[in-house]
Amino acid sequence: MEKEYTPQIIGFLCTWCSYTGADLAGVSRLQIPPSIRVIRLMCSGRIDPLFVTKAFISGSDGVMMMGCHPGDCHYQKGNYYTRRRYKTINSVFESLHLDTERIFLSWVSASEGVKYAHVTKEFSDKITGLGPNPVKKEIFL
Amino acid sequence: MTATENIKIEKPPKGASIPAKEGIKKAILGVFKKALETEALDAIMIPVKVPETESYAWVLLKDTTLLENADPLPPVMTIQGGKVLSDLTKHGKINKNIAAVLRPCETRAAVELFKLKQLHFENITLISIDCPGAIPLSEYLAEPEKSKKSFDNVLDKWDGDDAVRKVCQICYRFSLPTLTNAPASDLHIGLSGNTKDDVLLIPVTPKGEKILERLDLKADSSLQKWETKIKEIKKIKSQRRKKFNHDFKANISGPEKFTAVFDGCINCHNCQSVCPICYCQQCYFDSATTKLSSEDYFRRAKERGALRFPLDTILFHLGRMSHMALSCVSCGACEDACPMSISVSQVFSLVGEQTQQAFNYTPGINREESLALQDYLEDEFCEVETPSECEPTNSNEVKENV
Amino acid sequence: MSDVLKIKKPVEEGITEFLKFLLEKNKVKGIFTLRKAGKTDSFSYSLITDVEEIKNAAPLTPIMPANAGQLLSSFTLEDAIKEPIAVVIRPCELRAFVELTKRTQANMENIYLISSTCAGVFPLKSAQNGKFSQLLPKYWEAAKKSEVLASLRPTCTACEHFVPALADITISVVGNKNLTEECSLHLNTSKGEELAQGAPGNKTTEKLNDKELAQLKELRLKEREKLFASVNDKNLGLAGLVKTFAPCLSCHGCRQVCPICFCTLCDFDSKTHEDTASHYQSELNQKGGARVPSGTIFFHTGRMIHMAVSCVNCGMCSDVCPADIPVATLFSMVGESLQKLFDYLPGRDLEEPAPSETFIENEFAGLGE
Repeated sequence: MEKEYTPQIIGFLCTWCSYTGADLAGVSRLQIPPSIRVIRLMCSGRIDPLFVTKAFISGSDGVMMMGCHPGDCHYQKGNYYTRRRYKTINSVFESLHLDTERIFLSWVSASEGVKYAHVTKEFSDKITGLGPNPVKKEIFL
Repeated sequence: MTATENIKIEKPPKGASIPAKEGIKKAILGVFKKALETEALDAIMIPVKVPETESYAWVLLKDTTLLENADPLPPVMTIQGGKVLSDLTKHGKINKNIAAVLRPCETRAAVELFKLKQLHFENITLISIDCPGAIPLSEYLAEPEKSKKSFDNVLDKWDGDDAVRKVCQICYRFSLPTLTNAPASDLHIGLSGNTKDDVLLIPVTPKGEKILERLDLKADSSLQKWETKIKEIKKIKSQRRKKFNHDFKANISGPEKFTAVFDGCINCHNCQSVCPICYCQQCYFDSATTKLSSEDYFRRAKERGALRFPLDTILFHLGRMSHMALSCVSCGACEDACPMSISVSQVFSLVGEQTQQAFNYTPGINREESLALQDYLEDEFCEVETPSECEPTNSNEVKENV
Repeated sequence: MSDVLKIKKPVEEGITEFLKFLLEKNKVKGIFTLRKAGKTDSFSYSLITDVEEIKNAAPLTPIMPANAGQLLSSFTLEDAIKEPIAVVIRPCELRAFVELTKRTQANMENIYLISSTCAGVFPLKSAQNGKFSQLLPKYWEAAKKSEVLASLRPTCTACEHFVPALADITISVVGNKNLTEECSLHLNTSKGEELAQGAPGNKTTEKLNDKELAQLKELRLKEREKLFASVNDKNLGLAGLVKTFAPCLSCHGCRQVCPICFCTLCDFDSKTHEDTASHYQSELNQKGGARVPSGTIFFHTGRMIHMAVSCVNCGMCSDVCPADIPVATLFSMVGESLQKLFDYLPGRDLEEPAPSETFIENEFAGLGE
């Protein structure tokens, strides 16, 4: 089964920066790992921590939260909240000894197609190294 | 679920006898294993012990290795099985051919939830099992080893025992009648009254028959011994219930005594959230409707000199009773979940029984019978209007028979 | 240094007398405090408006049938109280009340806050066997000596925030050697002073017994370490959490009694998180089996993410858990690290916004770059 393991990674991307950045990466014909599945939101501030938790518990091997750089939010301050939410999820996961490595936050602007390709590849490689999320086999969740 | 799907089979006088040399549970699990292997069933919903713990969780499984930790009749009731089946199918039918193994009260709760449109029976073979009761959850969690032993004891004796929960001690519906028009379950597992050498699989509906057929099991063993034993235990337990209800009623009747029962209530609503019949997404008593202005609080305090917080705990219990007691299956889940050790299930069981008798209604034994409040007879309850002119509509007799 | 009102009576009698005085002299129109309910060992919070009823008040009984912060929220949710009342609540309840007020779920107007240096409460179970009163002499003895009673609620034995932060009046309990002879009420604010004006007893000026309080804090912190050590790799991590929450009945009682969980309809009880038959079918295909109902670990993790930063460690959740899961210990532990992360202590300050509602522009610099 694990002869060629491709992880499943969910990415929550804000439409103004990161999604546009991802688009630019595509238009620029940069290689994006096939493991990434993107969900577009209006703002990274829309990423309910429960989206991330649910994706994790439902068996995603990795979850990415992406938005505009701090200070550049289309809605002024959405991503500042995102940052706190990421830290919250991270801290709770850490306290519970859950795998924090699988949750990832990155700021990618509309012009950073190269960064998008780079961070997604890096994260995807890391997740491939970690192997499948153990929740995939857990029945008593 | 169509009406025809669940018609009774003409005569289920016989069952398939399964040898149980290694214990009844092993025998039952052996049948399930075979059913999964031969694809007579796609999956089974059954309590499974969570590895490295003493706790049971409901699992829908097709992997037969999971059956090794399964228990068709665990010593405790964790989540009420009827409720679990509703969790599985309330948003639509399941497309696999599955079986669910439930205690009789869980089966009856499933039937009530079906009537309340909170559960789909399509593709589900409901397997009920004779039940000697369950150990109180808190006792089991505190001392699992001891509880398991006492449960094995209860399973030997079959006439109830101090070890099981109070409502179980006085439960006379520990088996399911097989001869109603639209039986609750499709296949019944008869345990009591047999020597411990065998288990009876009694087909109740064509669905149940089909499973036995697929498993090459012939229903050719007489049920007589089982039926006799059931009747015997039922008699003992009915009498015990009668006596208990009589005494208990005296202890809780009247506003003061009734209030005293719920004195300790802290309004956590655990009883409501674990109740299989309380299916509302948001309970009325948790809704914004029950919120008051601060002046209302003051007014009510001044009327009495002091106002207890949280408000209206008695209203909650009475209200819940009026909402669901007609369908109460006396499963005891509420009492297991009460952190204040209030005898909730005993009260609800008693009140439920009386209310049900008024409507000549037994919750959950017949899939086709409509809910008591969804139905009426034009000339019933004349004693409500003109008491002098008529006899009460329903007598207080227990109507069902095995 | 603060003004202290000393009433020459055992602490519980003293405070009761003070409450009686408040009501009699019309300083307040109601007293919100613990009160004996009908049966023995049965206590509930009550709003007392009649002086006659004060005799049933049991303001310092070491039991918490509900977090008073939650109850006061239900009292003041729709509108502020119009007439002044005095409330006698524990520090964690006061903190919950503050947290709820910040979230516009409660209103502190017209409320005089009376709290105590808290020696903890017993689990609700200990008041169910008719032997609760037998526990009390030991309790008061331990309170006097600033000791930790092992039979208290586990979160109480490990609580370091037992000195109330925003109380108008603080009753000195912990480490107070004279508590069987006199009741010391520390008047912390002008509101407190105003309340105590003309009250029977002597006024002096003194500090809270810092030394004894520090002693208890040290003991409690040790207990806290022990308590947190009981949560380890055996019950944490994915496999551990599965075991920890194996007996969970999904009754959500922990959420229901949590003062911070104020939503009328919890997200986890809403349709959003109800799975369909097809979900279970796909689980079945992938894993060979699926727990029904699903979402046990998700519920607890999600609830932690929602509220643990404001968790006041009152321990109600563990007390109502029918499956005896150490919910409060887990939430305490998770809450503590979250609170450290955001340098936040729930309920210490009414003006301080909850971490989820604010941000600092240059915090966590470098993250995501």
